[in-house]
Amino acid sequence: MRYFAYPAIVYLIIFFYLPFFIVVLYSFGFPNFDLKYYFDVMKPIYFKVLLDSVILASITTVLCFLIAYPVAYYIALRAKRWKNFLLVLIILPFWISLLLRTYAIMSILSPLGLMFTFAAVVIGMVYDYLPFMVLPIYASLEKIKRAQIEASFTLGASPWRTFIKITFPQSMPGVVAGVILVFIPALGEFVVPSMLGGTYTTIGTITWDLFLRYHDWWRGSAISIIYMTIIFAALAVYMKKAGRIEI
Amino acid sequence: MIRIFVLMVFLFLYAPIAFVIASSFLDNGSFTLKWFEKVFEDYKVIRAFSNSLILAIASTFFSVILGTAAAYAYIRTKMSFESLFYTPVVIPEIAEALSLLLFYNLLSFPLGFYSVLLGHIAFNVAFVFVIVKARLAGYERSIEEASLTLGANEIQTFLRVTLPMAMPGIIAASLIAFTLSWDNFIKTVFTTGPGFQTLPMLIWSQAVRGVVSPSLNALATLMLLISITLAYLYIRVSTKRE
Repeated sequence: MRYFAYPAIVYLIIFFYLPFFIVVLYSFGFPNFDLKYYFDVMKPIYFKVLLDSVILASITTVLCFLIAYPVAYYIALRAKRWKNFLLVLIILPFWISLLLRTYAIMSILSPLGLMFTFAAVVIGMVYDYLPFMVLPIYASLEKIKRAQIEASFTLGASPWRTFIKITFPQSMPGVVAGVILVFIPALGEFVVPSMLGGTYTTIGTITWDLFLRYHDWWRGSAISIIYMTIIFAALAVYMKKAGRIEI
Repeated sequence: MIRIFVLMVFLFLYAPIAFVIASSFLDNGSFTLKWFEKVFEDYKVIRAFSNSLILAIASTFFSVILGTAAAYAYIRTKMSFESLFYTPVVIPEIAEALSLLLFYNLLSFPLGFYSVLLGHIAFNVAFVFVIVKARLAGYERSIEEASLTLGANEIQTFLRVTLPMAMPGIIAASLIAFTLSWDNFIKTVFTTGPGFQTLPMLIWSQAVRGVVSPSLNALATLMLLISITLAYLYIRVSTKRE
């Protein structure tokens, strides 16, 4: 039975893991060995891009959270007969490519004269990533036992106190999952800043330029290794947090 | 209060899509199909459309076979290779795309249809594995054993017992794999060469200049309808099972 899995494993090793190893090699100056590319990408011009990406991803994540939470709360606990319909409306964007969704928001921003501004990039990012935040929060709110909320009311707690003490803490795994699901791809986002932002640069746009325009494999690799390090750090925090919440 | 807020959010999510669809049927305020005619007359669009379709079908075919076999092996043996399949799901596309470009570059592998296809199969194998594995979670070996005890051979058991049990998962995974490949832009751009263009690349090349045109709206509408159809099929398949 085991050998059924071998073709897929071998395939992934050749076309997924081996290429990553090559990126690591290039970031250290392949075919030579040199650390200068890491120092290069820490220089102000590149570092500013890194910082801008973190700022954009953070703003996107916070806005998505603030907008998504009430929506998820409403679908999970208030929607009643509209629930399935609203859920479909949240899931549907997952099936539409990010490129098309960005084009759709562009078609609204363009006549409004909002194109090529930071605001346009932020609106586009929130537009594209909102469903990624709603769904996990919804899933965790959905699991909360109604009886607990009712018990809290019966024992005299106000709706606000019930929310803070009962509902919100139990939705934390969903919030953390949503933050990860939005923050990681937002950090490397390429389509939104280049379509809506004009000259706005992020890790995504700089990677694109270094690889496809300048064929600078070495600095491109160094940047992407830094990016992936941030991702794995974020995932490690998530795993730890998720594990702790489960206990 | 919360109702109005939620309503506004859904308006925000769907107004742009509705706007694109509506304006692809309008010419100075009156109904027209001429933008769609323009799209279908464009040789580049037809070419990109067939490229996208062949790519999506081929990558779905190979990834479903590889991924389903691996998921079945995992369910039967509980081998500890599971995490190998999760990395491709969480890694951002651009990181995966550039690593593949370096790989091809190092091997002097010619860039075009095959380089793109091999890359699409890689992420799709991982998604197929995760989906089929989840759908096989309730799998019971005893049903297969009953079939074998009752005199069916291994092949008959596989075709008439195992495969039908796995079918809902396989169909769901195929729809997702097809969509991921059909919609893919970043990985395609990084691993393609001159002469192989897909529909998302075509849309990109026009939209990147910030220009919204009626014929681009029509093309986007066609792609939206295909995505929505695939989503509908998926919902049908996954709710039928319960």
